[in-house]
Amino acid sequence: MRQRSLIAITAALAAGALTLTACGSRDDDGGSDSGNGGGTTVVIGVDAPMTGDLSALGLGIKNSVDLAVKTANKEKYVEGVTFEIEALDDQGQPSVGQQNASKFVADKDVLGVVGPLNSSVGESMQKVFDSAGLVEVSPANTGPSLTQGPDWRTKKVRPYKSYFRTATTDAIQGPFAAQYVYNDANKKKVFVIDDKKTYGAGLAATFTEEFKKLGGTVVGTEHINPDTKDFSSVATKVKNSGADVVYYGGEYPQAGPLSKQIKEAGAKIPLVGGDGIKDDTFIKLAGTGSDGDLATSVGAPVEELDSAKKFVADYKAAGYKEGYAAYGGYSYDSGWAIIEAVKKVVEDNDGKLPDDARAKVTAAMQNVSFDGVTGKVSFDEFGDATNKQLTVYAVENGAFTAVKSGTYTG
Amino acid sequence: MTGIGPVEPGEDTRAHDAGRPGRHTPRLRAGSRARRTATAATAALAVTAAGGYLYATRPQPRPAPPPPYPSQVVDLVYLTPVAPAGTAPAGGFRFTVALVVRSGPPVTVTRVSQPNAGLSVTSSPAAPFRTKPHSTRKITVTLRATECGKAPRNAGFPFLDVTLRNTRAIQTHSFILGRRYARDLSRALRDACGQGNP
Repeated sequence: MRQRSLIAITAALAAGALTLTACGSRDDDGGSDSGNGGGTTVVIGVDAPMTGDLSALGLGIKNSVDLAVKTANKEKYVEGVTFEIEALDDQGQPSVGQQNASKFVADKDVLGVVGPLNSSVGESMQKVFDSAGLVEVSPANTGPSLTQGPDWRTKKVRPYKSYFRTATTDAIQGPFAAQYVYNDANKKKVFVIDDKKTYGAGLAATFTEEFKKLGGTVVGTEHINPDTKDFSSVATKVKNSGADVVYYGGEYPQAGPLSKQIKEAGAKIPLVGGDGIKDDTFIKLAGTGSDGDLATSVGAPVEELDSAKKFVADYKAAGYKEGYAAYGGYSYDSGWAIIEAVKKVVEDNDGKLPDDARAKVTAAMQNVSFDGVTGKVSFDEFGDATNKQLTVYAVENGAFTAVKSGTYTG
Repeated sequence: MTGIGPVEPGEDTRAHDAGRPGRHTPRLRAGSRARRTATAATAALAVTAAGGYLYATRPQPRPAPPPPYPSQVVDLVYLTPVAPAGTAPAGGFRFTVALVVRSGPPVTVTRVSQPNAGLSVTSSPAAPFRTKPHSTRKITVTLRATECGKAPRNAGFPFLDVTLRNTRAIQTHSFILGRRYARDLSRALRDACGQGNP
């Protein structure tokens, strides 16, 4: 009988230990990731270039919104609501973006859209969304006129109440770059090149204006055709201009070869660009001569934000094939802003979506405020992000390294 | 039945082997003591092992998150020029800013600077100075034109660079104080450098 008692005691202890261990395991595992939060499905549209030269940025946007949606479903963040994404490829083309906007409007389950990447595409979508009262939050558009109207330099007027963005604008990014290039990098003669598109031309213009105000000299300007990769004639002009720096308004598919060909022409001077070139693909295309090139980008460096580190870890754990790229954090926050707005609308309507949910979600977006991946997320009276941080990155040993960060507090 | 038997035989094993119970009684008593001792030792061992296991696998409190980087919790907001009557330095611009530490540990300003080669900067209080979390400190900053040819008389987005230190990191962060600051600075520098000042 004593042996039986011993066996019983041991078994009881073992069972107790296993039970406690199991409790610990549940804490670690969290809930199911199937994420069925309830009976109502809300679709968040995603528009970005998912094919073509800019697909690295576009797929990072799509995956990051997908992560936000999965997180909300897993946490049952909005009781009774399950979120889904519907992603459409705009190929970086305004006309395709406009068609996508119409598709989202036609789907009554879509209560908000994240995107697009390109400011020119954003321009083509704004009116479609605004007419339908469907809220749009761009993680990447930086053209000032999208939120502040075409005369934003002299008189800011918000053109569309349904448009918001989490990225800051080129009204700050261009001058920020000019200040760094002129004062910190001590470059006084610039050759300015752009791709004639809304984003590139606008950014080059805001850079140029500030650079000249500071006392710098523009020794040459050129526009390139983004459909070509042969920039040898422009590179020769840069070489002959005596410029000590090149500013390029545009995106990395052109900026990479442009930087390479400028150096090959004999002008060993840095190329500087905006968030559109801040992707590792730029460095691959530009080659080893790109060390010393500079890019400004929206937001603070990831290593300074604990919230961003968590995002990076979660993104990796989710197993997406593509990287989150330059706008991943802003895309997650854009998606989460829509989720927050939906939550507010549902809670204000006794736990159900109202009939005029789109209008209510658009109205709620104006007052959304939360601690996101990129810091505090909220919007000013123009729909612009209130968090206006920027960082200068330099290519060092084949990788972008943060060299200076700034915050607009005006 | 070989006589070797199990090391810890069951009760029935001994009973069947017992041909002469009387002679075997002392041995049985001795065996019983050994069994009791072994049982107690085994139980104690099991309890100790289980306790040790439970202790080793007990839920650990999550480590406290590290404090935020100072640049992520500090705002620097332009307030107003200091009244020029008799207070503005010759060839300079004096103004106030509010330094706000929103959260985290105290933040020490170790340096106030600006990147333009034609200007120098001083502050009052002079760096280093420390500001507690959830508080605002008013700072008076004086910019002087040391070389008018290089001073930015029309800058749209001039920076003020501030080196911040807390228990997490030391960072130099640029604060872009906005158009009103740019306008006031430009006006002051035009006044200071407009009449052929060096």
